[in-house]
Amino acid sequence: MRLLLARHKMLRITCQHASRLLSQQEDAPLPFGKRVRLRLHLAVCDACSNVARQFAAIRLALQDWRERD
Amino acid sequence: MTHEGIAAKPSIEFQALAEHRTYLLKIARLELRDQHLAEDCVSDAITQAYEKRASFRGDSSLRTWLTTILKNRIVDLLRKQWREEPLDAPADEEGHEFDRLFDAKGHYLDRPSNVDDPAQLAQQDAFLAAVQRCVEKLPKRTGQLFVMREVLGSDTAELCKELQITSSNVWVQLYRARMMLRTCLEQTGFGRAPTAG
Repeated sequence: MRLLLARHKMLRITCQHASRLLSQQEDAPLPFGKRVRLRLHLAVCDACSNVARQFAAIRLALQDWRERD
Repeated sequence: MTHEGIAAKPSIEFQALAEHRTYLLKIARLELRDQHLAEDCVSDAITQAYEKRASFRGDSSLRTWLTTILKNRIVDLLRKQWREEPLDAPADEEGHEFDRLFDAKGHYLDRPSNVDDPAQLAQQDAFLAAVQRCVEKLPKRTGQLFVMREVLGSDTAELCKELQITSSNVWVQLYRARMMLRTCLEQTGFGRAPTAG
């Protein structure tokens, strides 16, 4: 079902578009439509799922870096 | 009533503030990219904190309070700098500079490395050092904006207001920072131990 939805023309986004949304999501909650399209894309795209975790690792590393003396 | 409330308020010694100097300097250096400027900024912040020590309420830690004072000084400085210096690169509001990472269908040409556990990776000294190095390599203004966001904790609305730039510029610069950082970190396998030979 998810696979079908993710391939639907209206909902489909490219990895390039998904990367921009992943960055936006680091800074503020995404509006509903963008959030749905990103979720569907991530469900079928390993490359962008990796990028999502990379962005999280960068964010967490800087938080950790800041707290250290 | 007695003056107990006032008497009980702990007075802050200058020394207690100065103890956070190394910490503040680390942040100011990453943000300003200039050792002397960073040192001046931190000294000013500590002096200012001492002068208004009576206003410290103790509902945050001394370090958090000092960091806020430092941040305000940094914002003033950056705002002035940014008004005087031109942009690093022409504003690319669409982020097209990363087109080369993608094929014609918008897929990644090089598959981004997997990170099993971001929280665990973020605690490793070697990864933290690599992140710091990559942040220092970002174009100046992009890096300053990103550090303001991720280290000093400004949200995008604050960044627009504090630095007097448009929100589309903020979004594109933060995207640029993250894409450049992940490309930079990929060069060392994104935290995986380098394999010998």
